[in-house]
Amino acid sequence: MLNTDTMGDTPHLLLVDDERSIREPLAQFLTRQGFRVTQAGDAEGARARMTAYAIDLVILDIMMPGEDGLSLTRHIRESGEIPVILLTARTEETDRIVGLEMGADDYVVKPFSPRELAARVKVILRRAAAGGVRQHAPESGSFAFAGWVLKSGERTLVDRDGVSVPLSTGEYNLLHALVTRPRQVLTRDQLLDLTQGREAAAFDRAIDNQVSRLRRKIEADPKAPDLIKTVWGGGYTLAAEVTRL
Amino acid sequence: MALLIAVALFLAQAINFCLLLQERRQARLDQATGPAVTRIVDADERIAAGKKIGGGGSWSRTRVLAASPIPAGAERLGDIEQALRAALTDAGVKVNRIETQVLPISPNDPRLRYVSQSRIERLLRAGAELVVAVQRPDGQWIALNIGWTRSDSTILWRLFAQTAILYGVVLVPLLWAGRRISRPLRRLATAARDFHPSTATEPIVESGPQDVRDVIVAFNALRLRVTAMLEEKDRMLGAIGHDLRTPLAALRVRIESVEDDTDRAKMADTIAEMNRTLDDILSLARLGRPSEPPTEVDLAALVDAVVEDFRDLGHSVGFEEADRLQVRLRPSPMRRALRNLIENALKYGKSAEVTLTATPREVVIAVCDRGPGIPADRLGDVFEAFTRLETSRNKETGGIGLGLALARAIVREAGGDIALENRDGGGLIARITLARH
Repeated sequence: MLNTDTMGDTPHLLLVDDERSIREPLAQFLTRQGFRVTQAGDAEGARARMTAYAIDLVILDIMMPGEDGLSLTRHIRESGEIPVILLTARTEETDRIVGLEMGADDYVVKPFSPRELAARVKVILRRAAAGGVRQHAPESGSFAFAGWVLKSGERTLVDRDGVSVPLSTGEYNLLHALVTRPRQVLTRDQLLDLTQGREAAAFDRAIDNQVSRLRRKIEADPKAPDLIKTVWGGGYTLAAEVTRL
Repeated sequence: MALLIAVALFLAQAINFCLLLQERRQARLDQATGPAVTRIVDADERIAAGKKIGGGGSWSRTRVLAASPIPAGAERLGDIEQALRAALTDAGVKVNRIETQVLPISPNDPRLRYVSQSRIERLLRAGAELVVAVQRPDGQWIALNIGWTRSDSTILWRLFAQTAILYGVVLVPLLWAGRRISRPLRRLATAARDFHPSTATEPIVESGPQDVRDVIVAFNALRLRVTAMLEEKDRMLGAIGHDLRTPLAALRVRIESVEDDTDRAKMADTIAEMNRTLDDILSLARLGRPSEPPTEVDLAALVDAVVEDFRDLGHSVGFEEADRLQVRLRPSPMRRALRNLIENALKYGKSAEVTLTATPREVVIAVCDRGPGIPADRLGDVFEAFTRLETSRNKETGGIGLGLALARAIVREAGGDIALENRDGGGLIARITLARH
């Protein structure tokens, strides 16, 4: 098999984009970043290469002539556990939501920073390696907890009276991480990784700040929190039943 | 409109009647003075010739009296007296004084015995007699009674009756015709006022007279054309956005091969700036057809979330957390509008201060900076897309005025407005005002 000699530590990425002007320099960049990169210009080519190689991760453009990226994502998800990162040309939220619902692990919006893409690839690969199987299931939809509903599509929190409480990106990511892992203790490092895809720096107070901001928004008494509880020894947990809607 | 016509009709009627009245009065004068003069002249001649006065019917007997039969404070008819004097002077009769009095005819008047019943009724209704007394130079009075049509009051009634008939004949059809025209016109006006390209509405039903129908047909066609043009504009802007984003993405990938870190960072910034402009263009294109319905939103949390996003990126944006403030709007575009205002403030003023105030009727979000401000005469211009004020704002910081134009379009779409104002002590205040429902 072709892939036997590359089974070592070099992750094998499949880059699918019909735009040559993006695909080729991006492939070069990712190669320089230490990945092995195989390219495909359409969904058909991508399918062929996925059967030929042991692909570790697929970077996939949504807007392609012929079979589009969303349909290919569904195919990949049905046939295995290979992580998918979507490249989306639109700022429309709907595409991303559909993409995540189809089972994509992450997305970047064009024009994206190749470095950021590389960083996300690494995070997802590390997670995949740590869990053995994909542990980061598509977490889209709505989550109900303690009278609140977190709508991941619109990135809003809705109270029991139906009033939207807009969240900042950081707050949303944090709450999303907590809501998708209720009653699990999440350390600051884990939360940073889940919310920002980065390692914690020393004295990083970002998570604590965001937790206290969130508490002011959702707790009846922010001083004595009932929902987001601090766990002795460094971490937070969501102490509430979560129902997926 | 109908009132105007009613007033005009009434006025015309009144003028007509004034003229008629004048003529009638003149005729009555002539009718009264003519026989009276003849009889006075006749009586005068008889007195001069020493003949006996009298004779004729008891109805209009001419009498010679020592004193005037007319009591002192009775109502006099000046115009008749004048006409009599003039006529008598013409006839060469010298008189001292002339007195007149109108007497109603009493139903018990003995003279009525000699006239027919129908005539009595007519006389009693409208008739009166005019007593004319003329003093001769020798102090004797010649007095005589003549018939007199008394009252003008019937003529007023006739004026009203005629006007009412005119109203009936003219105004009713006029009002009917007016309604037939005005109802479709009013519908047209409402449709034109409520016309919004994003909402598909039924064409207006063609009704009314032919001219009005033509206008409605033309309006329906115009509406279709406007909608089509706006859709075309949105499609074009969308196509521009998509077509530019791909090469921009390619460029963004390629600059990673630039060795110099500073250069690369600057290129990345430029690309990011271009991308933001593209986002604005696409948002502006989508604004006419919003995909998200308005919802009840906590505006305080919305402002807080936007501000927090800026703080996360290391910008200095001040905002005091405020109490919950429930407003009905589309949160995503409003976030974008506020983001654009804060971006603008940061671009020119390095830091921004955001406040949220509410009255029972409206909500005001103010974004303040300490930048150079805007010359007072150009405060309105900056909202025009692609305006940049080189005079006061640093060219290096770049950016076209699209951000503000978009912010205003969003806020107006939400039924509010944005106003800019220079700040005491330098800087600019951008105020979003939203009505509370």
